[in-house]
Amino acid sequence: MNGAGSRSAPSATAETGPWAGDRFRLAFLAAVALLAGLFVAAVALGSLTLSPGDVLDVLTGRSDNALHDIVVMDLRLPRALVAMVAGAMLGLSGALLQSITRNSLAAPELTGVSAGVILLSVLWLAYGPAGVRTGRIVPLVAVLGGVAAGLVAYGISRRGHSDPLRLLLAGVLVSAVLQSATSMVVLVNQGATGGVLIWTIGSLNGRVWSDWALLWPWAGVTVLLALLSAGRANLLQLGDDVAAGLGVRVERSRIVLLIVAVLLTAGALAVVGAIAFIGLIAPHIARQLAGDDARRLFPLTALVGASLLLGADVAARVVTEPIELPTGVATSILGALFFLYLLRGQRR
Amino acid sequence: MSDPPVLAADGVHVAYGSREALTDLNLEITRGTVTALVGPNGSGKSTLLRALGRLLKTTRGTVLLDGEAIARLPTREVARRLAMLPQGPSAPGGLTVVELVEQGRYPHAGPLRMLRRQDHDAITEAMSLTGMTAFANRAIDSLSGGERQRAWIALTLAQSAPVLVLDEPTTFLDIRYQLEVLELVQSLNRRQGLTVAMAVHDLQHAARYADRIVALCDGRIVADGPPPAVLTTKLLETVFGVHASILIDPVTGAPVAIPHAIVGTQGQRDLPGSS
Repeated sequence: MNGAGSRSAPSATAETGPWAGDRFRLAFLAAVALLAGLFVAAVALGSLTLSPGDVLDVLTGRSDNALHDIVVMDLRLPRALVAMVAGAMLGLSGALLQSITRNSLAAPELTGVSAGVILLSVLWLAYGPAGVRTGRIVPLVAVLGGVAAGLVAYGISRRGHSDPLRLLLAGVLVSAVLQSATSMVVLVNQGATGGVLIWTIGSLNGRVWSDWALLWPWAGVTVLLALLSAGRANLLQLGDDVAAGLGVRVERSRIVLLIVAVLLTAGALAVVGAIAFIGLIAPHIARQLAGDDARRLFPLTALVGASLLLGADVAARVVTEPIELPTGVATSILGALFFLYLLRGQRR
Repeated sequence: MSDPPVLAADGVHVAYGSREALTDLNLEITRGTVTALVGPNGSGKSTLLRALGRLLKTTRGTVLLDGEAIARLPTREVARRLAMLPQGPSAPGGLTVVELVEQGRYPHAGPLRMLRRQDHDAITEAMSLTGMTAFANRAIDSLSGGERQRAWIALTLAQSAPVLVLDEPTTFLDIRYQLEVLELVQSLNRRQGLTVAMAVHDLQHAARYADRIVALCDGRIVADGPPPAVLTTKLLETVFGVHASILIDPVTGAPVAIPHAIVGTQGQRDLPGSS
């Protein structure tokens, strides 16, 4: 068959290709295995350490140890699920932003979204109506802040047409303004916003099934949208002129992809706080393994992002035991190491 | 006239703010020919090509593709009839050649955006025409400048469009790769019957590889015709601002311009530090 023949032509020279199909499949399977391993570790490790067998017993309902049940089912399992899904969302958001800006240093925290999430949640915690000031309403409010900030940054960057670099500059501007507003609210309300500081660092401590219930529907929709936009991202990666020449409506496509990135970031951060660097690092790692084709890069980035945040959270809980670090501290250390690595690579 | 020109500019006027880039310009591109646009920097070559490829809205006037106003055609429909390669395109370095070339099928994609049999055929043919088959799985940033440009041309060929618009396809390439790209363009015209309109910086290349040279200056066409008729000492003086001799290349028979002085100077007034 002619079609099959032409399809197999490139793979005949696969060994010359740095990221030919086989290599990608291997990387994908390895990432799944790594994530599964981290998941078991996340559920097993902590102040009460369980064996993998104990974990399996609890998960399959065969455990007769009530403490194991509580630790796994009520504490560690929802927390691990939230970490994985939020990590995947942040990674995907970074990959989308890096494609539409054609800049590999683009990241969710540069779009203003993260600062918007934090400001609105802090405002709500300080001035929200009594009675509903805390609890599961906060992420819903925070999401609005993130989406609004992202759209404001986009509005500022537009000048007839949107320019990817201006978009990032506007995002940095919006972030700076919102962060100083957050600082003011925190200073003025030092008593009322006790739990706020942890929000601005980002933490997974105490994430339970109600958080998961808020996160997963949002995540399901946005992750699916992100994976479906890979083809469009590929075209935008070639630059505005090439994409327009191919018949892409560049402006409209970019707005759609930007909105997906904003929704991913806002949804994740509304549940885990201002976790940084996952959206920057995950696409970089995935790119080393999958190349730049977004149809491979995006799914692998989601897996890497999930592993990074889950791994960071396990480390934050376990390394300094019995003290637990905020997860955001662990991801910041990860970020610092990553920039060191980038610098060393450039000096070469 | 039974057969409209495949691509035409009809009274095209383009202004950037108050600066006029093209002034009431008329041009008809004949099917199956290679047309080279030449002119000094800022003469409007790129602007004209971008207008012809509907990357730029005209302030006044119309661009016609097969006799139809290009601005009224759906943009994907235009992409099936006209492939445009902008100047100095760049792709993520980790993209492989085949992944890049695949993007050329976007205008033909069905609702599911999956590659079908005719897509694979077009990709295979585009890679083979440009000699890129062996490079299919190489990353873009591992290619030489000439190979990279051929990969981009393969992308435009995968569009299966009968008209090819190239904006300075040889910029930043070494002389060998410049010829490689131009030879490829010529063979695509002769063997595949593609209509080519391209901006060319080097007059020798325009004279050797084009059927027709259109010279632009300050957004207007100042000369138009076969290379020997356009490439004259007078044109080089008035358009490019150089005194030159025109010789005939003994091997190719194409006219060659040898510039030897700048018009209106003694050859030293423009040197730094002399004023």
